[in-house]
Amino acid sequence: MPIPMNRGAFALAGSSLAFKTGTWRSAKPVHVHAAAPCHGACPAGEDQQAWLALLQEGHPQQAWESLVAANPLPSVTGRVCPHPCESACNRGHYDSPIAIHAVERWLGDQAIQNNWPYPRLPGSPRPERIAVVGAGPAGLSAAYHLARRHYNVVLMDAMPAAGGLLRSAIPPTRLPRDVIDAEIRRLLAVGIEFRPRAALGRDITLEELRSEFDAVFLAVGAGKSRHWDVDGAVPADLHEGLGLLREWLAVGAIPKPNAVVIHGGGNTAVDLARVMRRAGVRDVHVVTASGLPGPDTDPDDVLNVVPRELEQAIEEGVQFHPHRTINRLIMRGSKVVGVEMVRLKKLPDGHGHKARVSFEGTETVLHVDMVVPAIGEVVDPTGLGAILNGRDFIDTDMFGTIAGHPGLFAGGDCRGWIKKLTNGTVSAAIGDGRRAAEGIDALLSGRSPMEASRPALPFADLNLAYYESAPRIALPTLPLSQRDDSREIEGGPDTSQALAEAARCFSCGNCLACDNCWTLCPDNAVLKTRETCSDGSHYLFDYEFCKGCGLCATECPCGFISMVNDD
Amino acid sequence: MSEMNDPRARQPRFRGLEAGHRACQGCGEALAARLVTESAGPDVILTNATGCLEVFTTPWPQSAWRVPWLHSLFENSAAIASGVEAALKAQGRRSKVIAMGGDGGTFDIGFQALSGMLERMHNVLYVCYDNEAYMNTGIQRSGSTPHAARTTTSPPGKERMGKRHLKKDLLSIIAAHHIPYAASASVAYPQDLRRKVRRAMEIDGPTFLLVHSPCPLGWGHDGSETIQVARLAVQTGLFPLVELERGEVASVMPLRQRVPVAEYLCRQARFRHLFADDDHRAQEEREHLQALADYNIERYGLDGDGDDPFDADGADTIRRGGPANS
Amino acid sequence: MLEALEGSQAIARAVALCRPGVVAAYPITPQTHIVENISKLVADGKLNTELVSVESEFSAASVVLGASAAGSRSYTASSSQGILLMTEVLFNISGMRLPVVMTCANRAIGAPINIWNDHSDSMAVRDSGWIQLHCADNQEAVDTTIQAFRIAEATELPVMVCMDGFVLTHTLETLEIPDQDLVDRYLPPFVFNRMLDPQNPLSLGTLVGPEYFSETRHLAHEALNQSASTIVDVDREWQNLTGRSAGGLLSVEGPDDAKIGVLAMGSVVSTFREAMDCLAAEPAKLMALRAFRPLPEEAIRSACAGLDHLVVVDRALSPGFGGIVGGEIKAALSGMKDAPQIYNVAIGLGGRDVPLEMWPRLLDVPKQGGGFRILDLEPAKLGEMS
Repeated sequence: MPIPMNRGAFALAGSSLAFKTGTWRSAKPVHVHAAAPCHGACPAGEDQQAWLALLQEGHPQQAWESLVAANPLPSVTGRVCPHPCESACNRGHYDSPIAIHAVERWLGDQAIQNNWPYPRLPGSPRPERIAVVGAGPAGLSAAYHLARRHYNVVLMDAMPAAGGLLRSAIPPTRLPRDVIDAEIRRLLAVGIEFRPRAALGRDITLEELRSEFDAVFLAVGAGKSRHWDVDGAVPADLHEGLGLLREWLAVGAIPKPNAVVIHGGGNTAVDLARVMRRAGVRDVHVVTASGLPGPDTDPDDVLNVVPRELEQAIEEGVQFHPHRTINRLIMRGSKVVGVEMVRLKKLPDGHGHKARVSFEGTETVLHVDMVVPAIGEVVDPTGLGAILNGRDFIDTDMFGTIAGHPGLFAGGDCRGWIKKLTNGTVSAAIGDGRRAAEGIDALLSGRSPMEASRPALPFADLNLAYYESAPRIALPTLPLSQRDDSREIEGGPDTSQALAEAARCFSCGNCLACDNCWTLCPDNAVLKTRETCSDGSHYLFDYEFCKGCGLCATECPCGFISMVNDD
Repeated sequence: MSEMNDPRARQPRFRGLEAGHRACQGCGEALAARLVTESAGPDVILTNATGCLEVFTTPWPQSAWRVPWLHSLFENSAAIASGVEAALKAQGRRSKVIAMGGDGGTFDIGFQALSGMLERMHNVLYVCYDNEAYMNTGIQRSGSTPHAARTTTSPPGKERMGKRHLKKDLLSIIAAHHIPYAASASVAYPQDLRRKVRRAMEIDGPTFLLVHSPCPLGWGHDGSETIQVARLAVQTGLFPLVELERGEVASVMPLRQRVPVAEYLCRQARFRHLFADDDHRAQEEREHLQALADYNIERYGLDGDGDDPFDADGADTIRRGGPANS
Repeated sequence: MLEALEGSQAIARAVALCRPGVVAAYPITPQTHIVENISKLVADGKLNTELVSVESEFSAASVVLGASAAGSRSYTASSSQGILLMTEVLFNISGMRLPVVMTCANRAIGAPINIWNDHSDSMAVRDSGWIQLHCADNQEAVDTTIQAFRIAEATELPVMVCMDGFVLTHTLETLEIPDQDLVDRYLPPFVFNRMLDPQNPLSLGTLVGPEYFSETRHLAHEALNQSASTIVDVDREWQNLTGRSAGGLLSVEGPDDAKIGVLAMGSVVSTFREAMDCLAAEPAKLMALRAFRPLPEEAIRSACAGLDHLVVVDRALSPGFGGIVGGEIKAALSGMKDAPQIYNVAIGLGGRDVPLEMWPRLLDVPKQGGGFRILDLEPAKLGEMS
């Protein structure tokens, strides 16, 4: 039946709803929960964008809970992590990256100060018992993530206190001991049984563990220095870097030559250089094959050191010799009197890889009376012979599974690193522990392990018209004259700084609830809800009316909306 | 729509213009009308000049309007609004009357009726959705079409480079009526637009709002770029956002950063002939448009203070949970 | 109460008695005195209305369109060029079924410019969908103005009250102006159920495509046709209240057995009434056609029954065709059994005086035979004008 024409051809309010303009569409907007680049870059697997968002909303405790869902040691990592998240931060292309490490540290410290309890996942107690060998960052992380899942966890370590490398290799100027103590004490209180002074191969054997426990996670670290020589020459009084650092941390003793060259490009090399410089060594040289951070250096060729630590070391007078290696030791008898350096660079080798090539004719000499290698460590094979099979590290998959040894997992510095993921940082070890916990839980629950992965949001997908320039917070740093071997050099942000920094977050790939899509849809096809929708936003697309113009996607500041084909 | 129980009925903002209208994808005018009616609220009566907005909202028996709405002719929106307002006065009713028209119905054919309405001090807010040509009839030049723009009646060719004349400075003419409030706004700055509508709604007397509303079809850009293009018009200085009270400039939206007009022009097919490599006239016309933008910037003092966050007042920056300036 | 009033002044008084909510008008000779008198009534506090002094007739019509849609009784007045400037709006008002009332002080249309009376203006908007009622004298004009609001509001059709410029608008007559109480009883307050109202937000003035446009035209046509009975009823009711009819659709005077009739509209009817009384001429019927739209075909046919000759008087012409009323009457009587022979002349164009002596000249037209012509043409002047 046709509609009868009325007097004067009037129409009723809103009667256009009978006309479904959605049929015009050839593309439709969808919410894409892309990962912020910080998240993708985080070796620990944190979603920094998510916890910054909670902080912006005024929920610091929830922000911390979101953070520790991946990384239970934010006070530690906020101080020592080289924060690849900040290097990846899209804001770096706009003004300067979010000071994520500072906010992380602030949240960790707030949790300690307010004694916020670590949240557990919902669920009931599990009967299985799991042994975690090694209470460094990887072991602590695995133990925590297993305890969160209600497993019975026994964490054992050769040392009297938990912390591993955090205690033995990182100076208190970077990581105060009370921070380690507080954070680890609170973490163990989640319900982890800690057995100190239990060394593998000395106090317990792998076989005993395997028979007593349903699963075993090996996080024994890399305790043995890598062999170092120069064309077969080794000074008689050779000390390797990590050993010197450990000794200094344990008993406060450090050699004081007139001039020293430290060979290596990691935190150990830089930490040791700073300790020796502060101890009064006149010339402290660091020779490294890597480059210093800068526009001319490839990201994968940069010194693996926290950038601000590098700056501080230079401030303190440490002399860096990047893109160089030690070519020859100049010996007088068995004693070193100098080294010959040569320039080198990482270049393509013609087989799809890069190799270091040294350049003849660039040799220079440094006059030193001590040379210290700090080129890294390998796994101490004690008690692990059957697992190592003569190799330097334990081979695993990303969940720590060791092929041929069901129920046995490994992670942290003791496993063969996938270079990109890790570079042997504390955060990488924490990530290893978290994924191993997933691997163990999956094994004991009879399922496949899962690691969520989302595509990262490129900078170009942000709409910068909606953001304002805002300076990155400046953190207090101890002046050079006040630096000693015990006081922490970099301070943390105060509350207003932490909140200001959180507010700078672009929220890459994740809904800001800014209303733009709702405000700018010419067709009233975006609806706002008071409740949160299943995709985490407050907006619904009404596809009955959406014409697919794409305005919402273009004007979404944070790249949360994409247009997809809808023919 | 299964996720929430009828969320359309529970939108936190009043919606004067409903879905199901037949505007093109990315229509700036539909968006502008939606924003205006949202800000004005339900206690209004609208009049509408003939044009796209009228056609795409009310094909009988359907109407997309949720407020009373009256269309008569192309050139009499202001006059029928005057009549509605007089009737409301006679009846002691207090609803606000909003007259609407495109640039054709406002700058040109309906200009006399508008002038009369302003002179008689009717309590009417007149909103002109300025898309800079007669779009409903298929993109013909109007008094509002910018200099050098291509339309079907100002095509470029051997003897012409698009429209020969300038965009009529309507706002100054309106301001010369000495009315309480006249302003320009843009769909790219919805918070600013809303604020201006609310300001006008509060005034008992004639007020005028010129809303820059890109037409993807007529300007030749993708529907998804409507806001970008509108924003560039403001950022280049070609479409200054200003407020005039009793004929005097009361405030302007400063430009945080001047954008060269070429960045605005190159996104639109209507200016494509200004980028012909082998035509010396193209550069001359681009320079002419740049000079017009510079003139606006100088005349209204649009240069902002660089990165000073306070000069963003009115700009549509956002923060978590909504616009930064609302 | 009987008062000696100028036509325009009387119309202003009649409009005021109808309590319009909104009046909008623009001055044009010879309508000017109407808007002036209304303005004075408003200024003196005797009429409480929103008087909108617009900048053109186009806006005057637009204002009353808007006011009527917003639910106010609305009135305007114009003439000649003003009516033409309103044209677009007039079609709109009727198409939207808005009960606006306007006075057309009939005047010629230029060029050449001429400010005096004929019917060219209202004829030019013949097809605008308005009811058009013509008045023979100022009493009829007063009564028709009041009735027009009743008709308009009952039918939701606009009504144009046509009165001859100068001849009526500027002539002083003794008139009965009804009491306010009587008019209030006769004309209840205006209620418009499609009123623009935020509580019931309708959209008025929509776009109608080919699939419905014929139906809208049919409905408009039917509405005009059906308004004829309302026009009759409303006049009858007025007669019951006041003792005066304003002429229904068509009034007929003269002996029943007359074989010749003259059909005319407007003030010439009064002239011919006078001539019938005071001049010795052959017996004839005078038909005063009050309703030109709707054209009362049945009433015209029955009035013509028994006539041999009918002279139709036009006060305007359609160049290339002839008299407009004449053409319509021929069409109306087409196919009628024993229809009279129809003669069509135009007289009194652009204010040319129509004296009493015109009446016998009209009755003489059938004897001369021939088609349409301007009867009071002075051929000697043609050379001067060519």
